[in-house]
Amino acid sequence: MNPPGSLRVLEEKEKEHLATPTVGPSIHSDIPQERIQARRLRIAARLEARRREALGEYLDGKESEEDQSKSYRQKEESRLKLAKLLLCGTELVTNIQVAADIREVHRRVEEEEIKRQRLEKLENEVKTSQDKFDEITVKWEEGKQKRIPQDLWEMLNAQQVHCAGLIEDKNKLISELQQELETKHDQYVKDLKKQSGDICLLLERMEEQVKNVMKAFRQELQHIENAFEVERQELLTSNKKKWEQALQAHNAKEMEYLTHRIKKVEDHEKQLNKQRIWDCEEYNTIKIKLEQDVQILEQQLQQMKATYQLNQEKLEYNFQVLKKRDEESTVIKSQQKSKINCLHDVLNNLRSKYNKQVKQFQEENQSLTSDYKRLVTQFKEMQKAIRHFALIDDKQFREIWLMNEEEAKDLISRAFDVDRVIHTHHLGLPWTAPDFWFLKNVGPISQQQRKSATQILEEVLMEAEEEGAEEAASEPGSYLDLPKQVSAKTTRKILMLLCDESGFLIESKLLSLLLPLDKNECYLLKLDAIFSALGIENEDDLYKLVDFFLRYQAHHSAPSQERTSVASPLEKLDLQGEKEGSLVEREPQEKQPPPSPRLIHPNDVLKILEAFVTGLRKPRDFRAPVKLLKVVRDDSKDSEYWKALTTVIPATTLNLWDALYTALEKYHLVLTQRAKLLIENSSLERQNTELQQLLQQYVDSKINSELQVPPTQVFRVPTK
Amino acid sequence: MEETQITSSLSFPSWSSTSTQDQSSTAGQASITGPQPSKSSAIPPPVKSKGPSSGAGVRRMRRIIAEDAEWSVAIVPLLTELCIQHIVKNFQNNPILKQLLPEHQKKVLNQLSPDLPLAVTANLIEDENYWRRCCTQRWPVCHVDEHGGSWKRMFFELHLENLLKHFIPSTTDPEVILSLLPLCRNYVHTIRVDQFLPPVQLPPPLRGRDQSDSSSEGEMEEPATDHYQLGDLVAGLSHLEELSLVYGVKDCGMNFEWNLFLFTYRDCHSLAATVKACHTLKIFRLTRSKVDDDKARILICSLLDHAALEELDLSHNLIGDRGARAAAKLLGHSRLRVLNLANNQVRAPGAQSLAHALAHNSNLVSLNLRLNCIEDEGGQALAHALQTNKCLTTLHLGGNELSEPTATLLSQVLSINTTLTSINLSCNHIGLDGGKQLLEGMSDNKSLLEFDLRLSGIAQESEYLIGQALCANREAARQRALSPSHFMSPATAKGHENLAG
Repeated sequence: MNPPGSLRVLEEKEKEHLATPTVGPSIHSDIPQERIQARRLRIAARLEARRREALGEYLDGKESEEDQSKSYRQKEESRLKLAKLLLCGTELVTNIQVAADIREVHRRVEEEEIKRQRLEKLENEVKTSQDKFDEITVKWEEGKQKRIPQDLWEMLNAQQVHCAGLIEDKNKLISELQQELETKHDQYVKDLKKQSGDICLLLERMEEQVKNVMKAFRQELQHIENAFEVERQELLTSNKKKWEQALQAHNAKEMEYLTHRIKKVEDHEKQLNKQRIWDCEEYNTIKIKLEQDVQILEQQLQQMKATYQLNQEKLEYNFQVLKKRDEESTVIKSQQKSKINCLHDVLNNLRSKYNKQVKQFQEENQSLTSDYKRLVTQFKEMQKAIRHFALIDDKQFREIWLMNEEEAKDLISRAFDVDRVIHTHHLGLPWTAPDFWFLKNVGPISQQQRKSATQILEEVLMEAEEEGAEEAASEPGSYLDLPKQVSAKTTRKILMLLCDESGFLIESKLLSLLLPLDKNECYLLKLDAIFSALGIENEDDLYKLVDFFLRYQAHHSAPSQERTSVASPLEKLDLQGEKEGSLVEREPQEKQPPPSPRLIHPNDVLKILEAFVTGLRKPRDFRAPVKLLKVVRDDSKDSEYWKALTTVIPATTLNLWDALYTALEKYHLVLTQRAKLLIENSSLERQNTELQQLLQQYVDSKINSELQVPPTQVFRVPTK
Repeated sequence: MEETQITSSLSFPSWSSTSTQDQSSTAGQASITGPQPSKSSAIPPPVKSKGPSSGAGVRRMRRIIAEDAEWSVAIVPLLTELCIQHIVKNFQNNPILKQLLPEHQKKVLNQLSPDLPLAVTANLIEDENYWRRCCTQRWPVCHVDEHGGSWKRMFFELHLENLLKHFIPSTTDPEVILSLLPLCRNYVHTIRVDQFLPPVQLPPPLRGRDQSDSSSEGEMEEPATDHYQLGDLVAGLSHLEELSLVYGVKDCGMNFEWNLFLFTYRDCHSLAATVKACHTLKIFRLTRSKVDDDKARILICSLLDHAALEELDLSHNLIGDRGARAAAKLLGHSRLRVLNLANNQVRAPGAQSLAHALAHNSNLVSLNLRLNCIEDEGGQALAHALQTNKCLTTLHLGGNELSEPTATLLSQVLSINTTLTSINLSCNHIGLDGGKQLLEGMSDNKSLLEFDLRLSGIAQESEYLIGQALCANREAARQRALSPSHFMSPATAKGHENLAG
C-alpha cells in the first residue's frame, strides 16, 4: 500500500537523481536499445525505492504521512469512520437482543426463585393439609365409636366444618395459583407485546441503521470523490503545465524544423533545377548521338541486306552444286558398296590365309622352342666349359704373370741394389728401399677381390645344386676357393641350419613373398635377409661366421664318442667331396675331419649367433665394403702395374745417376792421377821404411833411453 | 426485435390460460408489426402478401398502400422460427431440446412456459434462465445465494420444502413426495423445513388452524402424533449436505395446542436413523423442537463417527447436562467444527464435560452456549480448556451467570491464546474488578477481534479501553489480510501508526 503521491515524488526525485550523474542511456535517445535500457534502469530504481520504503523508512514516518496524498488520507479517514459507524450500528441493533437476553436471564432467575417458593409453599400446604386430613380421619374413627346420635351429629358437624376448612384452604390455594396463572397470562401477553415492540424497535433500528449507513457511505464516497477530484485537478493542472511547456518546446522545435525544412526544400529545388538543365543538355546530346547511331546502323542494315542477298544467291548456287554432288555421291556410294563386297571377299580369303599362317607359325614356334631348349642346354655346357677355360686361362695368366713379374722383380732388385750401392757408397746418403705396393704384389692383380656374402651364398648353393644335379660330375663348384679348413658342404649345412633357426630375423612380408619361389632361391633370399640383419657383408665375415660355428662347437661339446661316430659318414662325404674337388687348393690340414655341423644342436644356434654378433661388432668399421661384382677381370690396372714396375726408379734418380756418372768420370780421372801418385808414394814409402828401419836401429840403441828427452816423444811415428 | 416480440406475445397469454394461448400466439405470429392484434381477421395469410411483393420488387414492398385493407408489411417468419414455435408448443408431449443447435436451444428455452410439468423439464433442462423464470414466478422473494447460486437447485429445494411443510401424515399421500425424488435427487443439496404438521386427530371445533389442513381434512382418528418420516426421502437424495428442521407449527395463532409441538420418540429414532444413513450430510440443525436430554442422546449417538458432519445446531431446545455430556463425547468422535447449544439448560457439569472435550479437540472452531446456566464452575472449566486448545476461534457465553472468577481466568487465557478471535460475555455479572482484569488480559492480546461485554457490569472506562485494543487488533488483522506476503513487522507498525494518527 504505497501511497501514490509519495511514489510520484520519489519517482521525480529518482529521475532527477538519475538525470544528473548518469550520462549513459537516456530515454530520449534515438537508439531503441538505449531507450529500453534506460527504461529498465528506471524500473529497477523504482523497485529499489519501493523496497527501501517498505523496509526501513518508517523512521521518517511523519514526513511520509505528509507526503501521502489527500485522497489516500481521505480514504483512510472514511474507512475508519465507516468502520466505527458499522460497529456502533451493529451494537445498537444487537443491544436489543442483549437486553432481551438479560431480561430472560433475570426472568429465569426470578422464575426459579418463585418456583422454589411456590414449591415450598405447596409442600407446607400439603403437610398442613395432611395433618388436618389425618386429624379428620382420626376423628372418623372416633365417630364410629360414638353411640349417642347427638354426639355423633356434633362430631359430624365438626367434621364437616373441618372438611370445609380443608377444602377452603385447598380452594384458597387453588385460587391463589389461578390468580398467579392469571398474572402469568397477563405477563405472557405483556411479554408478547414487549417482544413485538422489541421486534418493531429492532426493525426500526435496522432500517435506521441501513439508512444511516447508506447516508454515511454516500457522504464518504462524496468526500473521497471530492478528494480525488481535487487531486485530479491538481494533477491535471500540473500535467497541463507540463504539457504546455512540452508543447511550447515542441512548437519551437517544430518551427525550427520548419525553417530548416524550407531551407532544405529551397536548396533541393535549386539542385533540381540544375539537375534538370543538365539532364536536358545531356538528353539532347545523347539524342543526337543516338540519331547518328541510328543512321549508321541503317546504313549498315542496307549493307547487310545487300550482303544478305548476295549470300542468298551464293547459297542457292551452292545448293545446286551440292545437289549435283549429292547425286554424284550416291553413285559413288553404290560403287563403294560393290567395292566393299569385293573387299569382304578379300578379307575372308585373307582370314583363311591368316589361320593357316597361325598354324604354321605355331608349328614353327614349337620347333624353335625345342631348338631354344637345346641351345640353352648347350649354352649351359658352354658356360661350364667357359668357366673351365676361364680357370685354366686364369692359371696360365697367373703363371705367365708370375714369370714376368719374377723377371721384372729381378731387374728391379738389381736396379735397387745398384741404387743402393750408389747411394751408400758413392753418395754417402742413407738409402731406403722404396716401398711401392706393386713390389709386394705376387700374382695377377685384383685376383683377390672380395666377394660379398651373398655371392658366396649363391655359389655355395649353386654348387650344392649342381652337386645334387650331377653328383658324378668332375668339377662341382671347383672354382670356389673355400677357406682353408671348411668344406663347402659343411658351410652349406651350417647356413641351412642358420636359415631354419633364425627365421625371426626375416620380415614377415618377405616370407609371404617367398612362398611361391624355388627352395634354393628361397634359402638364398632368406639368408640374404638374415645376413643383412646380422651385419655380415662380405666373404670374410661369412667365413668368420662359419669358423665361429665350428670353433664354438669344438669348445663347447666335449670330445666324445658320439662325435666320431656321427661325424664318420660326414667325413666320408667330405672326403668324397675333396676327391671330387681335387682342383681346389687345399691345405693338408683340411683333410682332418672338421667338426660336423650336425652336432650343432639347433637350440645352440641362437646362442652362437649372439656370441658371434657381439664379437663381430668391434672390428667392423674400418673397411668400406667393396661390393663390385667382377666376373670379367679388370685389366686396366695391369698396364699401370707394369708401367709402375718400369718406373720403379724415378726420373730424378736417373738424372742423379747421369750426373753421378759424369762426376764419377771426373772422379775416375782424379783417381787415376791419384793412382800414379800413389805409386810414387809407395816408392817413397819404401824408401821411407828403409830409412825408418835404419832409424829404428838407431833409436833402439840403449843410448836413447838414457837421454833426457827420448826421440820417440819428439816425433811422431806415422800411422798407417 | 422480432424474436422478443414473439416471446412477449407468447409469455403473456401463458399467464392467463392455455386456451387463449394458441389463438393469440398464432395471431401474434402473423401480426407482429400490426398496430392492433385485435385486427386478426383482417390480416391476410402471409402467402397472399408475399405474392404481390415478389413481383413488385424490393422498393415497392416497402410502400404501404392505404386503400388495400389486406396489405401488411409483416414478413413471413423463417422456417426455423416456425419449427421452434412448434417445438415449444408441443414440448410437453414431445420434448426436443438436445438435438437442436445451441442458438435454437436458447430460443426454445426462452419461449418455454414455466408451468410445464417437472417430469418433463427436471432432468432435461439445465438452463439457469428457465429455472429463474420458474422461481420468480412462484416465489416473490428469491435469495439464490442461499442455494449455491443455482436457480435450478433453488427451485427444487424450495419446491421440496414447500411439499414437506404442507405434508400431513396419514392424510397426504407420501407418493407426492417420493414421486418427486427421481426428479430432484441430483439438485437438492439443502433441506430447510421450519414446520412439520402433526396428523389430524382433533375434533372439528379445533381445526382450521391452517389453510392446507382444513382443506384436506378427513375423519381420520389416530392416536400417534408422529410427523413425516424423512428416511426414504433423505436416502434418495445423493447430494444432501444440509438438513435444518423444526418440529413445530408456524402461524398457529389462537389455535395453540401443546400437541402441535411434540417431537415424539418415534420421530427422534427415525430422524436419528435418517441422519446416520446420510453420509454426505455436513450441517444438521434441529431447533425449537423440545429436544430433551434423552432425545439429544439418541440423536448424538447416531452422529458419532459421522464422516462428513461439520456443524451441529441444537439451539432453543431443552437439553440439560446429560445432553451436553453426549455432545462432549461427540466432539471427540467426529470432525465437528461448529457446535451450537444456545438457549438450552446446560449447567455447570455439562459445561465441565464440554470443557474437558474441548481441551483435547483440534476441530471445533465455534462454540455457542448462549443463554444457558453454566455459572462460574463451568466458565472456569472452559477457560482452563482454552489454555490448551489451539483451534477455537469463536466462543459465545452470553447470559450464563458468569462472574469475576471466570473473568480472571479468561484474562489469563487472553494473554496466552492466539487463535480466539471472538468472545461474547454479554449479560453476565462480571463486575468492575473482572472488567479490569479482562482489560489487563486484553493488553497482551493481538488476535482478538470481537469481545462483547455489554450489560455485564464492567466500568465504562475499561470497556472503552478494551474497545480500543480490539480496534488496534482489527487494524492489524486487516493489514495482514491485505498484504499476506508483506513482512509482519512493518504491517503491524503501520497499523499502530494509523491508530495513533
